[in-house]
Amino acid sequence: MTPLLSIEGLRKAYGDRTLLDIKCLELQRGTSYLLMGDNGVGKTTLLRILAGLERAQAGNFTFDGVRYDEAPARARLAPRMIYVHQHSYVFNTSVADNIGYGLSGLPKSEREARVRVEMAWANLEHLAEVPPYRLSGGEKQRVALARARVLKPELLLLDEPTANLDDAAREQVAELIRHMRDANNCVLIATHDHDLMKLEDVVKMRLEQGRVTA
Amino acid sequence: MYMGLTEATLQAFRWLLEGDLTIWGIVWVSLRVALLALLAVTPLAIVAGFGLATLQFPGRRALIVLMQTLLALPTVVVGLIVYLLLTRNGPMGSFELLFTQQGMVIGQALLAFPILTAMTLSAVQGIDARVSETARTLGASPLRASFTVLLEARFAVMAAIATGFGRVLSEIGCAMMVGGNIAGVTRNITTAIALETSKGEFAQGIALGVVLVALALGVNFGIAFLQGKGEIK
Amino acid sequence: MIKRTMQLWAVVVFSALISFPAGAGSSKAIRLATTTSTANTGLLDYLLPKFEVKCGCKVNVIAVGTGKALKLGEDGNVDVVLVHARPAEDAFVAAGYGVDRRDVMYNDFVLVGPNNDPARIRGEKDVLAAMKKIADAKWKFVSRGDDSGTDQMEKSYWKALDINPAGLPWYFSAGQGMGEVLMMSGEMRAYTLTDRGTWIAYREKIGLPMLVQGDPRMFNPYGIIAVNPKKYPSANYQGAKALTDWITSAEGQKLIADFKVGGEQLFIPDAK
Repeated sequence: MTPLLSIEGLRKAYGDRTLLDIKCLELQRGTSYLLMGDNGVGKTTLLRILAGLERAQAGNFTFDGVRYDEAPARARLAPRMIYVHQHSYVFNTSVADNIGYGLSGLPKSEREARVRVEMAWANLEHLAEVPPYRLSGGEKQRVALARARVLKPELLLLDEPTANLDDAAREQVAELIRHMRDANNCVLIATHDHDLMKLEDVVKMRLEQGRVTA
Repeated sequence: MYMGLTEATLQAFRWLLEGDLTIWGIVWVSLRVALLALLAVTPLAIVAGFGLATLQFPGRRALIVLMQTLLALPTVVVGLIVYLLLTRNGPMGSFELLFTQQGMVIGQALLAFPILTAMTLSAVQGIDARVSETARTLGASPLRASFTVLLEARFAVMAAIATGFGRVLSEIGCAMMVGGNIAGVTRNITTAIALETSKGEFAQGIALGVVLVALALGVNFGIAFLQGKGEIK
Repeated sequence: MIKRTMQLWAVVVFSALISFPAGAGSSKAIRLATTTSTANTGLLDYLLPKFEVKCGCKVNVIAVGTGKALKLGEDGNVDVVLVHARPAEDAFVAAGYGVDRRDVMYNDFVLVGPNNDPARIRGEKDVLAAMKKIADAKWKFVSRGDDSGTDQMEKSYWKALDINPAGLPWYFSAGQGMGEVLMMSGEMRAYTLTDRGTWIAYREKIGLPMLVQGDPRMFNPYGIIAVNPKKYPSANYQGAKALTDWITSAEGQKLIADFKVGGEQLFIPDAK
């Protein structure tokens, strides 16, 4: 089976210090991955390189059979592949506008309908018109997840999605993982949250000394 | 017949409240020229400031330093440059814009440009890098991602516009040299104050000064209100 | 949305620009560069509306010193000049910048100064002698310093006395109009040379009495000169001609004679 995403010979260094040196990594559809590792080993950097937000010194990148080493190809991948920051930025508009951000090309009625579905999923209906500075950290995270989920991405890259958040957020992430798997899509989560590690039906990987191990 | 400060101020308010056409006509010239100058220059300055903040190109640092230096450019120097451009023998002489409101608009637009650009630059630099990353990962085109960043910076950009408005409204050097202080055509608040003071007519000068301060207050209250609307809901 | 915003911007800027009132650059308005003495005394505010009604046109007045006014004419930035500095006027015409110079009126220069008159010039009949006394007393003297007609006249007195006051501690070169210089002199209790008209308009405010008058060398004639249409074909020569004809006509001359500030006549018409 063709992997959804594969990378070969990825190398990322800052000066003399090699941060990442990954010979091969493949992510399959319908599978969820947990990427574990200590702080500072490069989990965030790896996710950002996969998402095309940072450049590596070397590496071949393929998404759904298409190479995306260069910027134009990377740009075309969004929003099939979406990266969600550890502490997500919620645009200074309403919650509803945030969730509908990626849907700007759709007719208004369709956009609103899809936003409503996501707000129900993320339990944000009562906050639809609230500006972001009135949201708690957990609420911001739910907005960010809903904002990504509404675009039906094939690959979600979540960076520490439960950092400093409560059980409700954890349950939300678990729900999202199930949802993505049911749709035959893929999630890669960088985390060192032990509760998330207890999840079943996820492939667990470790990032150590620049290498990914099972 | 020396007129004391109190007396002059009272007379000033009397004129204003009676709707003295000369005074309000002068105010209208100031407002019209300043607003139009800002209207014309704001989009260009925002694009320039945004470009300086986000693009990497050779000479970028030099341009930023130049922009910040231009902030300190005396208005009479801008006035002189525009005068030399617009004078009949000058490069733009055939347009006959010297001593017209259009000429003043050009001068004031040039004055406002560095302020708006420099303030937009720092406003955009102050915006979290996650904004453009989030926009891009959600599928926004580069243009839309830039627009999203600008929207996040909108209150700082509005403050830039208000500051630019204050600068052009209160400047005199350029208005005097390029406009020529023609009654009913290019006489604005500041050139009128200078003229009335030179004539020893302090009351009218104060009346116009009061309007100038009121306008500045109004603009700043407006901005504060908009910002408040954005933050306290 | 971005496109719509940009379209809206273009429409608004464009419509605002075309909605401008006819400015000084429009061919209908007559652009008159003149001296601060005619504008600050209120003479033009009194005369021009009557002319504007008569000719159905608009006169845009740019009030500067004589030197600057002639320069504006030289560069073709105005259509007509009304100034007072005969040698400079003749040079302006001789160089081909102006045509049809006509006498309009005259007033005279006077020396004003503090009431206690530290240089003892009160009543002096000879302006040069009075200036010499001021220089000898080293009392404060404020000069226009702006190359205006008044400034050129004052400089000619110093030249005749072979005194170069520039840079001396008692000599203040203000670089401003007659009104400002009178206000400054009043504040500083200094001597200054002024045209009689502006001094009459200001004397209540500044409290400086007139100390010297009547020397023929203080005669201050005003001339009106149209900018040469051969030099600047787009200049409004017809308007300039209409203004020249009117201001030197019986009607214009009578109005000048009738113009009074504080009950005193400021200008004596002398068109030939």
